[in-house]
Amino acid sequence: MKNKIELTVNGKGHALAVEPRRLLADVLREDCGLHGVHIGCAHGACGCCTVHVDGAPRLSCLTFAVQCDGKTIETVESLGGTDATHPLQQAFRKHHGLQCGYCTPGFLMALVPFVDAKVREGTMPPEAEIRDAMSGNICRCTGYQGIVEAVQDTIGQGLRSQGTGQ
Amino acid sequence: MKPENPRHLGARIQRLEDPRLLSGRARYIDDIRPNNCLHLKFVRSQVAHAKLLEVDTSMVEDMFPGTIVFTGKDTGALSMKAHQDYPEMQYAEQPLLATDRVRFVGEPIAAVLAEDAYQAEDAAEMVFPDFDFLPVIATMEQAQDPALPPLFDGWKSNVWVERQMAGGDLAAARAGAAHVIRRTYRNQRQTGVPMEGRGVIAEYDQSMRVLTVWSSTQMPHLVRTYIAEELGLPESRIRVIAPDVGGGFGVKGQVFGEEVLLAWCAMKTGRPVKWIEDRRENLLASIHARDHLHTLEAYVSAEGRLLGLWADITVDVGAYSTYPFTAAGDPGMAAKVMPGPYDFQAYEATFRGLASNKCPLGTYRGVARPSAVFSQERLMDDIAREIGMDPIEFRLKNIIREFPYRNVLGFTYDPGSYEESLLRMRDLLQDDIAAAKASRTDPKTRIGVGVACFIEQTAHGTPDFTRRRVPIETGYVAARIEMMPDGEVLIDLGLQSHGQGMETTMAQVAADALGVTPDRVFVRHGDTSAPYSVGTWGSRGGPLGGGAVHVAATEIGTKLKLIAANLLQASPEHVELADNRAFLRDRPETGVDIGYVARSALRNIDRLPEGMSPGLAAEASVDGPKDGTYSNAVHAAVVEIDVPTGKMKIRRFVVVEDCGTIINPLVVDGQVRGGVVQGIGSALCEHFVYDEEGQPLTTSFADYLMPQAPEMPMIEVHHIETPTPLTPLGAKGLGEGGAIGPPAALANAVTNALDFEVRETPLTASAIWHMAQDAKGV
Repeated sequence: MKNKIELTVNGKGHALAVEPRRLLADVLREDCGLHGVHIGCAHGACGCCTVHVDGAPRLSCLTFAVQCDGKTIETVESLGGTDATHPLQQAFRKHHGLQCGYCTPGFLMALVPFVDAKVREGTMPPEAEIRDAMSGNICRCTGYQGIVEAVQDTIGQGLRSQGTGQ
Repeated sequence: MKPENPRHLGARIQRLEDPRLLSGRARYIDDIRPNNCLHLKFVRSQVAHAKLLEVDTSMVEDMFPGTIVFTGKDTGALSMKAHQDYPEMQYAEQPLLATDRVRFVGEPIAAVLAEDAYQAEDAAEMVFPDFDFLPVIATMEQAQDPALPPLFDGWKSNVWVERQMAGGDLAAARAGAAHVIRRTYRNQRQTGVPMEGRGVIAEYDQSMRVLTVWSSTQMPHLVRTYIAEELGLPESRIRVIAPDVGGGFGVKGQVFGEEVLLAWCAMKTGRPVKWIEDRRENLLASIHARDHLHTLEAYVSAEGRLLGLWADITVDVGAYSTYPFTAAGDPGMAAKVMPGPYDFQAYEATFRGLASNKCPLGTYRGVARPSAVFSQERLMDDIAREIGMDPIEFRLKNIIREFPYRNVLGFTYDPGSYEESLLRMRDLLQDDIAAAKASRTDPKTRIGVGVACFIEQTAHGTPDFTRRRVPIETGYVAARIEMMPDGEVLIDLGLQSHGQGMETTMAQVAADALGVTPDRVFVRHGDTSAPYSVGTWGSRGGPLGGGAVHVAATEIGTKLKLIAANLLQASPEHVELADNRAFLRDRPETGVDIGYVARSALRNIDRLPEGMSPGLAAEASVDGPKDGTYSNAVHAAVVEIDVPTGKMKIRRFVVVEDCGTIINPLVVDGQVRGGVVQGIGSALCEHFVYDEEGQPLTTSFADYLMPQAPEMPMIEVHHIETPTPLTPLGAKGLGEGGAIGPPAALANAVTNALDFEVRETPLTASAIWHMAQDAKGV
């Protein structure tokens, strides 16, 4: 049995027929061809599979595709294109916030809304708050330091560009 | 040795591979989708030890027609054979699929192949193995209990291997000692846990008789050789490709039965077959690591000189011997490295690997060294406490100062900065040491400082493996380099880069020798189309892979200079290669584009000097030095313990390290920091727990806890650079060192804070609370 659903993924409409049990992660990877969505644990503990559903970070391994009928989804592919031009992606590169890259899309999708919110608020959060913001994501390579520095750098850039930085 | 005046070597340049990884465009094993592919799900043993009576697959045929099921009856004698040719070692094989017995929870029993992964999983649930339960070996004590039957028919006991290593006169050391200090230390079972699990795809082209295997592996050539030998195929017709690999840490540095089985399934079915490991099977049945018990006895003079060391090393190696490092690998490595950075010339060690009904042990970053250094460096602190010396002073009194140093087992240490790094660390810790002293009378908050001083034998060459008679056999790395007619460069590197940044560092090395910028060098890796190499493990990528690239690129560079000299009507020694040009050193404006030189070698060969053959390709392989090259480091932890609750905070973690020539400081710092955080995980939380029935209790990320960002500190990294004369670039191995020191440094810091000797890891809040309760004066 398959259900007909419509998803808007990275700005593009998809009309799909999916089994109700199929995970959003699998549908994005297999039916939409977005292999930047990575599955790290498939039990909601590592954050590798984080995507945005209607603008909010969500674990696509704990979400059924049929739950997202009519919703708007963004994956890492939507951020900065093939050259990874989003400021947070550039900052990850500058601060060596990635090594094997497997967890990276999940970190980016979890942290982009955090960075945006802090820039909007006009405040540079303390290091502990940045670390808390990534507490749902596991990175086994970097020890997190480069990721923390990338977030600080990106928020700093955002604050400076809108003239609200301390 | 380190090259003179490098332009790119040593530069902190951003990684060339990053855009692909950051943009979600990398291609990992699960992103490869051959047409008409079958998806494989394993049925794995749910019991630790049993006779396998029958595997009932009739329900699969009834409910899921068309599904293919293979069991041990189909794969028969095909197996994983990993034997170290020690006379004492007992031999055993692991069948690709269990035939008549299962020996750990997670052992593959059947392979179920269906049209998609969901269907394969459904069908796998309808396979019913019938067991006759056997007594379970779930502890080191049970493994050494002669009343319990051996795991394998024909075995005399549940000891894979027990051997001795010795050097010098230990009886004399014992007789001359003013102090004899004996301690027992324990490290728990854990593993590397890359964020991407394992995965294999195999496809057989019958018309060409070519087998292609994609695997998330660190060692494609070894996978190819094993498959060829086990399945009786010509190795020339097998290609193994490791695509982007989502972390390895040694876990993927074995050849796995699953890789051989997938190849067999593809040949048997005539269709591509794909298996993606799920997290549960990754935690149950990839490989585990550590699980060491050491008893050490040190003989110390009245002046605080270490005279000799006796060691008894026991490792629970689990149910099978893994290829290519075997069940003797971890225990033997612990015995070999235990003498460490200290100057003494009497040593005796007994090491043994025990068989148990647990997941087989394999390699994980540091390979036995995190456990050995834990014991060695806890012992140094415990000796210092007992004889009333400052722990850093005691180390300085015994540290090796003169190089080359021949250690008690006959290994030669190349020059390092053992004393300097310890002195540097002492300076960095002055304020913390004072704060720790000041907290001694505080009933609530205690501060502790702990150091761990260690060396790491890296990039060891073939004799080191020959000596151990281990099936890895050799340790060399090769690279083939080709410059194209446009001056662009292709490197086929016999390594696999899964986070180490080799697409950048190898480009930096080649760029210097070829006079191009690193962005013009394309590094392909993880593919058996590169020249034969042992793969990425044993901290050899930089020293040996970088060495091979340097040697091959230098050969091409020399030819480029000869051609350019002919074009510029100058002598070759006046030609310099840099910034994508060949030019005269004294008149840099006189020169040609490197692409023009390359085109002269490959297309317009009428421009070549008379008699020169066309072509711009070179290949080199570099073996490690006989005894390896020794990196050294000092790690220090500063902890703050809340005595009433046992909650511990890491206030500082400091590293002073020396890996010889640094190719890219960005990458070096990243390797050190990432390794340290894995080491902190080893020290504080990561623990595979089995119950008395051999049932694993930590089978998800909710139970197997790893370091997460909020608890981790910033890691301070300081470098000392002592290039080694033993590798082409002066580089020593670096990838593993970060993970080696933290368990010892943290345990020493807790010991210091609570004035209570830590004997085992993990240092959970509960463990620390108990120690605080037992500690004197807290």
